[in-house]
Amino acid sequence: MRALCWEGVGKLAVRDVPEPRIRAQGDIIVKVRASSVCGSDLHLINGYLPAMREGDILGHEFMGEVVETGPSVQRLKVGDRVVVGSVVACGSCWYCRTEQYSLCDNSNPQPVIPEKLWGHSPAGILGYSHAAGGYSGSHAEYIRVPFGDVGAFTVPDGVPDDSVVFASDAMPTGWMAADFCGLKGGEVVAVWGAGGVGQMAARAAQLLGAGRVIVIDRLPERLGTAADRLGVETVNYAETDVLEALREMTAGRGPDACIEAVGMEAHDVGPTYAYDKAKQSARLTTDRPTSVRQAIMACRKGGTVSIVGVYGGLVDKFPLGAAMNKALVLRMGQMHAQRYIPMLLDRLAAGEIDPGYLATHPMSLEEGARGYEMFEKKEEGCLRTVLHPKRS
Amino acid sequence: MTSNGTRWALAGAATVTAVGVGRVVARRRRRHQPDRAGGWYVVHRGITVDRPVDAVIGFWSDRERLDRALAEWATLEQLDENRWRCVARDPAGGRTEWRAEISVDGPRRLSWRVTRGPVIQQGQVELVPAPQDRGTEIRAELRWRSGRVRRALGLTTRRDPDRGLRDALRRIKSLIETGQMIDTRHDPSGRSPKQEAATNKVREKLMAGGRP
Repeated sequence: MRALCWEGVGKLAVRDVPEPRIRAQGDIIVKVRASSVCGSDLHLINGYLPAMREGDILGHEFMGEVVETGPSVQRLKVGDRVVVGSVVACGSCWYCRTEQYSLCDNSNPQPVIPEKLWGHSPAGILGYSHAAGGYSGSHAEYIRVPFGDVGAFTVPDGVPDDSVVFASDAMPTGWMAADFCGLKGGEVVAVWGAGGVGQMAARAAQLLGAGRVIVIDRLPERLGTAADRLGVETVNYAETDVLEALREMTAGRGPDACIEAVGMEAHDVGPTYAYDKAKQSARLTTDRPTSVRQAIMACRKGGTVSIVGVYGGLVDKFPLGAAMNKALVLRMGQMHAQRYIPMLLDRLAAGEIDPGYLATHPMSLEEGARGYEMFEKKEEGCLRTVLHPKRS
Repeated sequence: MTSNGTRWALAGAATVTAVGVGRVVARRRRRHQPDRAGGWYVVHRGITVDRPVDAVIGFWSDRERLDRALAEWATLEQLDENRWRCVARDPAGGRTEWRAEISVDGPRRLSWRVTRGPVIQQGQVELVPAPQDRGTEIRAELRWRSGRVRRALGLTTRRDPDRGLRDALRRIKSLIETGQMIDTRHDPSGRSPKQEAATNKVREKLMAGGRP
């Protein structure tokens, strides 16, 4: 089969690779119909999250059709149209039992790197390097999904592939970000990042009762889309001082909750950003926490900062003093896909959330490398490139 | 300029420093040196399984299920009441055989002694109910004998009983909780056979050990 493989830092190529096979009793094989690029892939492609090996197949946000099931699979059958959570979870350990699926004890068979870096190993993630288990990704014609009964969900009829694909990662991540904020109704929520996850977080915050949602980015077209599609207020940090703007918009209080949906390769303007970027390029620091710093500084006293952008290691100049003295609640984590997907599919079917507009650039697998380039450089208003392996 | 004496003094100081740094690095690389007692290396490792004690005991005592669980990597054969023969297969197709005596020391306690095998070892396992409805703590103690040379080799190869123990505990936990072991070694990739072999070596390193 054809698959989009990582060939070294910044290099992607389509290769002929063997087809996956059922390896364990709970496995399913999914024929991929749509597989989205994700901002967190850029960290892997650019070598900021270690543990990629030449030839690894990328991709973790996808949907498709079940073509084979392992002997213990009960909930799914061949022919089911499914969306699969990016995070692999066994469904049987204490973390899964308490719905903290991204912390699953049994789904990372290669736990040594995360244990060295973070003390413990969280769940494995499909197509997300050898630190996350070494699973093959979804930018391929077929993919093996372990614990299929736990991670794959049948999709309601009538919801298009390019819409439901985001129920795999962007929607549950955005939802969890808003869920972390503990909204009771009427709050002001600020969201850093108007990409797929940021926009889904903004929509989730609206549905969970936020009074006002303010989205922050530097790309006018993304901010425009967020304003048009979701009716949120926007701040362009390239033109405006974000902290001043947020303080003014909230009459001095600051947002009640700040969601960070950007991650370790954040952009900014000014000398601090240049310094961070230089340090990161020389691998003297792993992450550029520009937007986390802003979120902490902007958040109202006693408010919540919710971090769903991906970070890998150590950060510089983290304003712990601000967080401590303002008594902030910091919440963060990889999303618990399996907890949120069924509810999100219901909301998709009911039309409460419609992420289809994120798929600005449908492409074939063969165009994958170009798709990532457009996505990274935000060319032609690219919000998300969605690859269709069978369309070539 | 500099006299010969100074040169020798500098060279000596540099050597001492290099040796010292080397020792510190070596120690840092393996911070958890096993304890030693009566000529044995001793390690203690534990893991928490999200199942009640009875279910954990049930896993061991259900022979059919145990064989099915072990099928891919080992075969067990009972020789007599408490003597067992085990043959383990590694991914490269190699086989390691050992014989052990297993004795039940109490309702939740079990000990074993390897009578014939690559490493002389003995150990015991105790099952303790975990707090807060967290299941069962499997607490294991492993003792092994090892000469200096073997010990030095053990540091550089996979034949480290401590890492083996941690790996085994992780496998047991996964088998009891999920009935299977996740393995991504055969997942497709765009690697050549040579690159795949190199990646498998990395995999082995990333799999062996692990904090149970």
